[in-house]
Amino acid sequence: MNQDMKFLVVDDFSTMRRIIRNLLKELGFHNVDEAEDGAVALNKLKAGSFDFVVSDWNMPNMTGVEMLRAIRADQSLKHLPVLMVTAEAKKEHIVEAAQAGASGYVVKPFTAATLDEKIGKILQKMGVNQ
Amino acid sequence: MSDFAGMEDLLADFLTEAGELLGEVDNKLVELEKRPGDRALLDDIFRGFHTIKGGAGFLNVQQLVQLCHLTENLFDQLRKATLALSPDLLDVIMSATMVIRDMFAFLERGAMPPSADDALLAALQHAIDGSPVLVVSAPAAVAAAAVAPASAEPDWEALMQSVTGVASTASTTPAVRAVTERTAGRRVSDQPDSDGARAGRREADRVVVSQETTIRIDTVRLDQVLNLSGEIGLAKNRLNCLRTDLLAGKTGADTLRSLDEAVSHLDVLVGDLQNAVMKTRMQPIGRLFQKYPRVARDMARQLGKHVELVLSGEETELDKTMIEELGDPLIHLVRNAVDHGIEQPEERQAAGKPETATVRLSAQQLGDHIMIEISDDGRGMKPEALRRKAVEKGLIDAEAAASMDDRHALQLIFLPGFSTKDTASNFSGRGVGMDVVKTNITKLNGRIEVKSVPGQGSTIVIALPLTLAILPVLVVRLGEQPFAVPLALVREIVNIRPDEVQEVSGRPTMLVREEVLPIRSLANLIGWPQSRPPAYGVHMQSGLRNFVLAVDGFVGRDDVVIKPLEDVKPKGIAGATLSGDGSVVLVLDMEQLLAEPAAETRRALFEQAA
Repeated sequence: MNQDMKFLVVDDFSTMRRIIRNLLKELGFHNVDEAEDGAVALNKLKAGSFDFVVSDWNMPNMTGVEMLRAIRADQSLKHLPVLMVTAEAKKEHIVEAAQAGASGYVVKPFTAATLDEKIGKILQKMGVNQ
Repeated sequence: MSDFAGMEDLLADFLTEAGELLGEVDNKLVELEKRPGDRALLDDIFRGFHTIKGGAGFLNVQQLVQLCHLTENLFDQLRKATLALSPDLLDVIMSATMVIRDMFAFLERGAMPPSADDALLAALQHAIDGSPVLVVSAPAAVAAAAVAPASAEPDWEALMQSVTGVASTASTTPAVRAVTERTAGRRVSDQPDSDGARAGRREADRVVVSQETTIRIDTVRLDQVLNLSGEIGLAKNRLNCLRTDLLAGKTGADTLRSLDEAVSHLDVLVGDLQNAVMKTRMQPIGRLFQKYPRVARDMARQLGKHVELVLSGEETELDKTMIEELGDPLIHLVRNAVDHGIEQPEERQAAGKPETATVRLSAQQLGDHIMIEISDDGRGMKPEALRRKAVEKGLIDAEAAASMDDRHALQLIFLPGFSTKDTASNFSGRGVGMDVVKTNITKLNGRIEVKSVPGQGSTIVIALPLTLAILPVLVVRLGEQPFAVPLALVREIVNIRPDEVQEVSGRPTMLVREEVLPIRSLANLIGWPQSRPPAYGVHMQSGLRNFVLAVDGFVGRDDVVIKPLEDVKPKGIAGATLSGDGSVVLVLDMEQLLAEPAAETRRALFEQAA
């Protein structure tokens, strides 16, 4: 995996952003930026060249799914892999995430190994599809 | 080792953030009681529990995850309107937030909290199942139904395929499996790190994770500090140059003017820097206020009263230490207002007042002070009743009571041992009443006063300095020795003319603005001989004591940083500070000095000296 990949971690809870950032660091990804909701994240995504988005589901202003739909609707962003993070493991959530175009789905709490596996799968899939 | 070895930082962050979040949730619950159908409130509360659950999951605090999970599910149903909110249900939810707060307290000590009460879990589960709400204090036997299922992760790959119809090439799952097959999942109690295994070593290795050692600061404020210290560096360079010039013998008018300019500039910069650094410690008082609507609501409900707590000025900023120290006194005052101030609904109706009482808690900055007011529209206090009570309790004598005006009589409630209700109630009257509040406020260099109109309500006013770091003082002289007194206590400076000093009950007094005030000699108070008759007096008010402090002269006013005297603690001395010329100035602790009864006589002031 390319360790220079630039991640955007989106969560309204700063402790959670820090947790995910730490986990990414454990995996060797040091290039990580943060956003506290979907709207802020979209602005950052449009401004900077990000390679991967890890986003929470439940956020004020703009939820993770709304952001996901906006990303998929944007010509310059729609290729971006988006890993959705949530505490829910409900079927309707997963269906909604899949329909909105999520690249993967991870349920809190998770370990670095789980995250690694999810990211790996998504990147592998992208590689094959390209 | 604590239960959270290696995660202390994370835990501290979590507690700070989750604590704030829970405070917001609490307030929104109080709001929700008024507007049960408000969708935005329900969403916010749902998200609050959800977020706390997420964080707790990473910290592996399953007890917290379990409780938040249930509450969150409950709110999910409430916001989807598949469940209606009843007052009983709200009580169950409120006790859940209380338990969550208790769990935070465990976590703060670095210990794994015990699981929530079975009865509470059962009550939540019952509500989720749509059964009639159980009262929280129900017997624990009903708890069997209350094991929260922690859902296992569904199969993303399988679902992706079923939704998109495209087989994922990376998938290791050979066949599409129904998601529902796996949702039965693990139970919380199956987790290897569950409560039981840890209980044994919990007491022994309690490591204190101190929550309050970190502070969040707006980067704009930090930048200001940085800019100013940079500018001070430049000013220092300028002074260094001037020093070289001066040492080389250049003492012309130009050099001196430059020196004057440079020093003035530095003076302004240092002042600004002090301010900027102080600002980094300033926090909005709203973080404290937000706890109180819940406190007031719980108490009013238990007392059968209807009370609304109205907050204003939450954005007012105060030193972090002060905010921490204010927590207990304010909670006490809010409880006091609800318990003693507010009447029962019938009594209010009879008096022609709205059934729902209003308690206002406000903060605002006035000059270099913060004013905090707690007012209620309750029954108020009668000065006469307070006087009688104080005499009955032997706190003051009848003569003092008779000569005391109404405003002063109200302040009697701050005397130790004074309580207006004979039977202490569960909440506010625990014998450690208003005198403790007053002591706490005085410790912060603040003042507290009560105003009241019988039948219309009472207002408690607290005035606090912006910060504890810098104390404005008046520097007075006794002989050649300077002493500093807190400027907050100083009312005015007066001349003492021997012929105007009258003896009342053997004590010297003088008339200041038509008020007879006792004269206390500073020399006498600190045990020095009265070597000359005092020339000036400082009219001071320290609590209930209104007096003239007799001194030899003044140096001026100053803003000082008090250094506590660590090993020697002379009576009546709060600490020491350095004056501009480098000499040590002692800062007086007036309360302590005045604790001794007056001993001076008129003769001692004016005649012994000769």
